[in-house]
Amino acid sequence: MTVTLHLKQPPSVPLEAEVLSPNVMAELSNSEIRSLVVYHGKRQVPLEEFFDVEGERSDELILHGELTKVRMIGRAMSSGSITVHGSVGMHLGARMTGGSIEVHGDASDWIGAEMMNGFIHVHGNAGGQIGAAYRGALAGMKNGTIIVDGAAGLEVGMRMRRGTIILGGPAVDFTGLQMKGGTIILLSGAEIRTGAWMNRGTIISLKPLQMMPTFAYASDFNPTFVNVYTKRLKQFGINLPFTASQGAYQRYSGDLSVPGKGEILVWQPA
Amino acid sequence: MTCTLGEVKQRADFIVYWGGNPAECHPRHFTKYTIMQKSKFLPRGRKDRTMVMVDIRETKSAKAANIFLQVKPGKDFELITILRALIKDQQVGDEQIAETGLTREALDDLVQRMKSCKFGCFFFGMGLSMTRGKHMNSAALLTLAAEMNAFTKFVAMPMRGHGNVTGADVIMRWQTGYPFGITFNRGYPRYNPGEFSTVDVLVRGDCDAAFIIGADPGATMPQPAINHLKRIPTICLDPHVTHTSKLARVHITTAAQGISAPGTAYRMDEIPMPLKPALKSPYPTDEEVVRRINEAIAQKPFWLPEGSQPQMISTQV
Amino acid sequence: MLRITGGKIYDPANGIDGQVKDLCVDDTGTIVSSVDGGRTIDASGMIIFPGGVDVHTHVAGGAINFARAMTPEDHRRTQAFIRTQSRRSGLGGMAPTTFATGYLYAGMGFTTVNEAAVPVLSARHTHEELADIPIVDKATLTLMANNEIMLDQMEAGEYERAKNVVAWYIWAAKSYGVKAVNPGGVAAWKWGSDAKQLTDPIDGYNSLTPGKIVTMLATICDDLGLPHPMHLHCNNLGAPGNISTTIDTLKHLEGHRAHIAHSQYHAYGGDDWDTMCSATVQLAEYFNTHPNITTDAGAVLFGDTVTITADGPWQHLLYKLTGRKWGNLDVENETGCGIVPYTYRPSNLVNAVQWASGLELMLLIRNPWQVFLSTDHPNGGCFWRYPEIIQLLMCADFRSECIKTLPDRIKSKITLPEIDREYTLYEVATSMSAGPARALGLTRKGNLGIGCDADIVIYEEEDDVARMFSHPRYVIKGGEVVIEDGDIRETPEGREFLVKPSCAPETDEFMRPLFEDCYTMSFENYPVEFERIENPNMQECVNASEK
Repeated sequence: MTVTLHLKQPPSVPLEAEVLSPNVMAELSNSEIRSLVVYHGKRQVPLEEFFDVEGERSDELILHGELTKVRMIGRAMSSGSITVHGSVGMHLGARMTGGSIEVHGDASDWIGAEMMNGFIHVHGNAGGQIGAAYRGALAGMKNGTIIVDGAAGLEVGMRMRRGTIILGGPAVDFTGLQMKGGTIILLSGAEIRTGAWMNRGTIISLKPLQMMPTFAYASDFNPTFVNVYTKRLKQFGINLPFTASQGAYQRYSGDLSVPGKGEILVWQPA
Repeated sequence: MTCTLGEVKQRADFIVYWGGNPAECHPRHFTKYTIMQKSKFLPRGRKDRTMVMVDIRETKSAKAANIFLQVKPGKDFELITILRALIKDQQVGDEQIAETGLTREALDDLVQRMKSCKFGCFFFGMGLSMTRGKHMNSAALLTLAAEMNAFTKFVAMPMRGHGNVTGADVIMRWQTGYPFGITFNRGYPRYNPGEFSTVDVLVRGDCDAAFIIGADPGATMPQPAINHLKRIPTICLDPHVTHTSKLARVHITTAAQGISAPGTAYRMDEIPMPLKPALKSPYPTDEEVVRRINEAIAQKPFWLPEGSQPQMISTQV
Repeated sequence: MLRITGGKIYDPANGIDGQVKDLCVDDTGTIVSSVDGGRTIDASGMIIFPGGVDVHTHVAGGAINFARAMTPEDHRRTQAFIRTQSRRSGLGGMAPTTFATGYLYAGMGFTTVNEAAVPVLSARHTHEELADIPIVDKATLTLMANNEIMLDQMEAGEYERAKNVVAWYIWAAKSYGVKAVNPGGVAAWKWGSDAKQLTDPIDGYNSLTPGKIVTMLATICDDLGLPHPMHLHCNNLGAPGNISTTIDTLKHLEGHRAHIAHSQYHAYGGDDWDTMCSATVQLAEYFNTHPNITTDAGAVLFGDTVTITADGPWQHLLYKLTGRKWGNLDVENETGCGIVPYTYRPSNLVNAVQWASGLELMLLIRNPWQVFLSTDHPNGGCFWRYPEIIQLLMCADFRSECIKTLPDRIKSKITLPEIDREYTLYEVATSMSAGPARALGLTRKGNLGIGCDADIVIYEEEDDVARMFSHPRYVIKGGEVVIEDGDIRETPEGREFLVKPSCAPETDEFMRPLFEDCYTMSFENYPVEFERIENPNMQECVNASEK
């Protein structure tokens, strides 16, 4: 049994729909789901004004449609799953504490922002501030995993404390800004200022990076934790090279300006 | 980490301008507030002060400086970050320093001067805050100033653009808790620059009406934002014909603030200055127009049914 | 018109301790002996207090507004007031927005607040902000003790001139009195140092010491006949062993009236952070033998807050201790302030000592007319948490439960466990209303006598004291029912109290050149125009010798 929602027509202004969450739907009948309140701009309207709803009482949620103006999907969810066929708006899975979200399409900014745990997989591109801290907050994501197959925007993993972010496509600037822990894996590299002001944590890049001047080259090595990661990531079709015969990771430490104990590992094929 | 301009005038013996051109953009700034002033603590005025200019090109302001540091375009953030490391005696490579367009000698000298001054001050302009990195560039300089206080007194201050930007910022803060980038769609203020800031809302086409006071986004914003303003009903209050007023559906001509309308303007250091009008205007003030629009709206039924909302909620979205 | 019948009245200003009595309010919002018609509130079985008066808080102005900008993460997690047709929206939390400040104060029965630190240069800003705080009446104090023009006169021994300068500034800022912060110390901080000893000359001066400033400024306040005496934030705030500085300061005040702000922060023994302990017994003993001075507790509550004070040196120390955000704002020629978000934790020995010290002072100073409820909002805790302090004062059992959660090592550092005093309702009413109103010289506040302002709070008697004081059944401000059953009913505008002390006419001419030398604003633009004050209410200055 699932709850399936089809978007009738894209909203003209952003639609804030934090009720699109398995926690909310799990115990509700079909008619109760239809009458859940969403915010279309400042107007409060029932969910059915924008969505056709099939099914009831389920923590498996399936969304269809062009949802780029629909924000806060899966916000603060703690269990269950959301599958989206289409593209989604901002704050997808922000502050979530558990469960999983899969998007067959693109996502926008702030996905998984300040999340505590759970799993997000975006098959298309994503925006900026993935797993980040909201403005002024001291810490971003505290655990969980976010995978984006495509490209990402600014400030990915800003102030993240734990957890893993994996980007298949390239990221823009300030990846891992003020990072406090956790891991960011860049399969296609990033533009500039990667790891700026990082305190702790690890950034792994399979492509050469333009390093901040305040990172110091330490050594070439093949850390064992990378093969542990590789085993875990295989299920998502991601392969990290780790054997010495393939090459080595150049280890840079920084950011000296903090001064921080973060590390950036850049893969150097043999 | 800031202070009022009078503190700079009285005490600052070390002044750094970063990515701004006060000689041409804030013509009275040097003489009225900073380097040219004599004071009780700096009786010889200009001779008692060291002025450093950091910019990507040698502007008129650079000629007034004791030291001019030409940073490579787009390397401000890197340079400030290097300085943050150097003041903490961290080792940064020569090669890395060279990437910013400066030499180790120049930076060592700068750091030594920063640490040995009695009262240092950074002023930063749009050359810093509006180039690649934007708010992080400003944040970098503010952080550097905060960290310098481990050694001596140091402050940092933005050189704002035209108009009463600071005033809007100050009042939004006391009424809503946030300076800009605010939405009220849930009945209370929420903040997220990048999501709710004007330029982003317009570029994404997230609004279906615009009301513009004392600004000319039609001249300054990117094309997609301007296109959206043309698409939706845009109302503009301005004493003059502007790019925005030309594309607006409605343009209400108002009295010019400070010339024919009274009020308060906040200086760049957040000190409020009374505006005393010299002339009379046949046009209404912005305040009067907004008040009358508000009164007209109050006549309409409220957009929420009575009692449908709690007075207060203890957890926000 | 309003009649309140059957309630038990606690009105310490008139010595009424729980007697059942009717209260009548006329159309001007004044308490009268009888009225004809109008609404009647049946308060049978309920408790009636005069509206609360906060003698020391920071709710408006450049500093708190800076704090708001620094703490967006707190605004997001706090309570939100939703806009209606008659009410503005706002956010609560560590540094509430202006409209919310009014709702929150009124919501717990406070109807008068004193904004205790206004630099003259941004007084215009403070008044504009205060105009946006609804319901409560307001007073402001001007920061004086580090004003360089005044200090220069004191250094030169020109007492009369210094007095005129103070009077000139009070009226220029349209304020109600004088606040002295860390006399001489903030001026020194502007050079990155501090003034620690009362008898050492201040940096940049030959003979002027903090002690001299304290004595002279207190004399000036008395001579000008200000309704509220000098409001003093002593030197050496928050430092272990600062009790000696505080006692020394108090000795400089012999023979003068004075109000010592947030004395909890000034009552520590020990030599460093490890040996720091409470020295409240010594301080309370001084207060108990010197009725000329009043104080507010500046109590600390565990939890998140943002510390903001004109005491820049202390702030920088906190920033270094916590490694968190830090904002600092120096105002030309007058003062400076610092802002650091902070979390008080019971597991932290220093914080635990601070928590205990605040309560100890309130319990050890015997006369509730001398010690008032405050947290130095937002420094020790937010004002809307006052009911928690009242509970700690009224229930010794609850207090000992709380002490049990503190680290064991605390026992040798505090006296709180040995105190079994419990505040009575009468004493609470004195400490949160009648006492501060008297100290402020506001004769129509904190008083339910005939002819006073009808600021009245009605509580439903409950065992849960904290709940009772945070949820009054009715709050009446100036005769209007503003809160009823926890709902905000009306949001009238409050008044602002001002004084105009006499000032020699030639002061303007004397000030002009000095002013233009050190300020960056034109002399004419500097004083706040009287017309800019919304609902001003002039109070008289009466010289002590004329009383």
